[in-house]
Formats: sequence, structure tokens, C-alpha cells
Amino acid sequence: MIKIVHIVNQFFAGLGGEEKAGLPVSVIDGSAGAARALEMKLGDKAKIVCTIYVGDNYFNEHKGEAIPAVLNAVRAAEPQVLVAGPAFNSGRYGMTCVEVCNAVANELAIPCVTAMHEENPGVDAYREFSNARLYCLPTAETTAGMTDAITRLANLAIRLAQGEEIGAATQEGYIGRGIRRIEKTARHGAARAIEMLLKKIKDEPFASELPMEVWDDAAPAPALKHVKDRNIAVVTTSGVVPYGNPDKFKTYRNTYWRKYNIAELKELEPGKWEAVHGGYNVAYMNQNPHYGVPLDALRSLEAEGAIGAGKLYPAYYVIPGNQGSPTVMRRMGQEIAADLKKDNVEGVLFVAT
Amino acid sequence: MISKELEKAGLPVALISAMFPVAQQVRANRIVKGVSIPHPCGDPNLSKELDARLRREIIQTALRALESEVTGPTVFSPPVAMGG
Repeated sequence: MIKIVHIVNQFFAGLGGEEKAGLPVSVIDGSAGAARALEMKLGDKAKIVCTIYVGDNYFNEHKGEAIPAVLNAVRAAEPQVLVAGPAFNSGRYGMTCVEVCNAVANELAIPCVTAMHEENPGVDAYREFSNARLYCLPTAETTAGMTDAITRLANLAIRLAQGEEIGAATQEGYIGRGIRRIEKTARHGAARAIEMLLKKIKDEPFASELPMEVWDDAAPAPALKHVKDRNIAVVTTSGVVPYGNPDKFKTYRNTYWRKYNIAELKELEPGKWEAVHGGYNVAYMNQNPHYGVPLDALRSLEAEGAIGAGKLYPAYYVIPGNQGSPTVMRRMGQEIAADLKKDNVEGVLFVAT
Repeated sequence: MISKELEKAGLPVALISAMFPVAQQVRANRIVKGVSIPHPCGDPNLSKELDARLRREIIQTALRALESEVTGPTVFSPPVAMGG
């Protein structure tokens, strides 16, 4: 008989709503609340040995205590698989499910499965963790999708407990984590690539083996009329910094940005600047830093009035933009935006390498 | 990624990049064709004078991009032939 532990929040344990969201981690023997529905779907192949519940607020405010408490309870129960949720579109609950599963998968090497709506913030955390032992199934937004979610959780939980090989996200229907796996195929990469290319040329459908990340649209900011009267700043990911790299940028995965003063400068003299970046050949940039920070051109346009006098921001912003994690890049973008707006900058020239 | 956060904050961005197909793919809105990845603003194969002129053209194109109303990813090409 497969042993399963189910973790739910206070509401799905049947203890109450928001007024009970401060409840700490507790364990009930056997199944309770939503776990009963799961147990019914599991049939006679598996048994819920215990139901762990934790209040939505408690978990998110006391992670330091909550995660070890859950780990202890799961360790004691010795399940083959942990099920968490479904959390639907409940943000705190979704975060709890994903974080608990990630901790159990890492610390106890037990496979975990959870389920929630794709817009639940827990899904972002799930993608960030990118944990091969953790699977998240998509659900409807509300509990209207309960039966379907429980059925799919039960199926995947049993397969995981039996040590079955779980295929790719696109085939199995769980939410992709961006994990690439080695697979053996009869035909080598060049042949497959050419085949894809031919299909693409013929406008036929093909499946890439390296799906690109889907990016959300940022609505274009309105045009900047009379650009010569506007405050303009330069931001660059080229990694051009003062010679000697005073802020010790790394050639990849930087987590901070800096701005360097150019107020008194007419140009960037070669030798006084250098490019720190592990993603491209920096030789040209070192010879002529204007390829990344085009100060000579900006000053000459300023002299002609195409850029108003004093309208060029007195410093440029830089991050060597190589291999940055999307979350960190987003955070740095927000920080730079706030800094620019504080100083009334209205438009940005962004040089990307 | 960073340029999109600037746009979200309401700042128009002219993104000068040689990787304009990538810029389109990540849905940057005002994209200016740069010369090459290691030297987006200029071309070291040109004479010093022509290189500086090319750089001015690129920046002028970027300023024009900022002045242009766009509805989605739009590529602006500097009005010069570029090698590299």
C-alpha cells in the first residue's frame, strides 16, 4: 500500500477561513477535509497516512518555524509521495504548497505534487525552484475545478510513488519547469535541425527542442514629443565601467547596477574604461568604449541642439547583462526606473550587447 | 528585461541592439538596429571619422524612435549601410 501525506491550509482542512489563517502547523492522523476527497480518488492503491495543515498567514509569516515543522511531520510519516493543495488561485496557499514541496523534495528526497491555477504566484516560485522532484498541475481558478484537480493529483501521486518515469510537461500536462533532460534519439541534432528549418521555410508546424521563454507585453510608453527638450539618460548592459572595475562587477550573473558620472566628460577615453562582460568579445569595447556608451555622438548632437543643453543625464547606468536571472533583472530594472524617475528623466537610450 | 521594467514605469526606451530579432521576441517596443553584438554603436572596421558618423546616425535614429508613437515591437533602422 502506497503511503501519502497530504498538506492543506486551514480552510481545506475544514477548520475555518480567514479568522483561522494564523493556525500553526498541525498533523491529523489519516485524512481530513480535502484529503478525504483525495483518498476516495486514490482507491485501494494508496492511503493517506496523515493530513498536515497550516494557516495561510502563519506559514507565510513564520516560514522559519513552519518548514521544519512540516519536514518533521513528513519525516515521521515516511510517505512515498507528498501531495499539497490544490490551491486554485489562492496566492498565500499556492506559495505554501510550492515552498513546502520544494523543502520536502530537497531535504527528504520525496517526490511532491501540487496543483494550482497558472496565475497563482506560487507558479512563479515553482518555476524558479525548477525542482526535478516537484510537479505542479494546472487547475481552474476556483474550487469549481476541485474534482478534476483531485483526480489528476491522485493519478500523478500514484505514478510518482510507484517510481514511474514521468515524461515532458507538454505530454504529461503538468506546468513546465524549464528542466531539459537528455533523451536518446535515432537521428542526430544537425539532421533534426535541418528538418525543422525546412518545415519552417514551408510554413509547416514544427516543435522546437528548445522552447523560448514567453514574454509578457509591456505596453509601449507614450512617445516623447520634442525630444530635444527632454531629459535623456543612457542605460547599458555592455558592462562598460571605469578602468579597474571599482565596483567589482562579475562577468556574469550580476545582482546590482551602478551609475558612473559623465557630467564633465566630452568623450570616453580608451584606456580609462573597460568592459566587464562574459558574454561577448570585449576587445572592441575596450578599444572604444563609445560602442557601449556613445558619449561622443551624444555630445556632438548636444552641441547642435538635437539634445537640449543639460538634458543628457550626468551619469550612465550599467549592468554587465550576462546570464542574469529574470527575477534579479526585473528587480534591477525597477530600481533603475525608480532612480531615473526621481531625477525626472523622461526617455532612455538603452545600449544592449 | 530591464528595458521592459523601464517601459512599465512609463519611460520610453530606445533599445539599441544588434540582436534585434531577440529584442522583438522579448517584445521590446522601440528597437534600433545596432551594428554587431560586441560593438552595437559603431563599426571598428570603418575609419575613425566614419565610425563616429555612424554612431551619430544610430543615436539620431534612437532619438527619432523615442519621438515615435508605436503600438508594439517596431524596428528602426539607421539610414546607413552597415557591415559587420
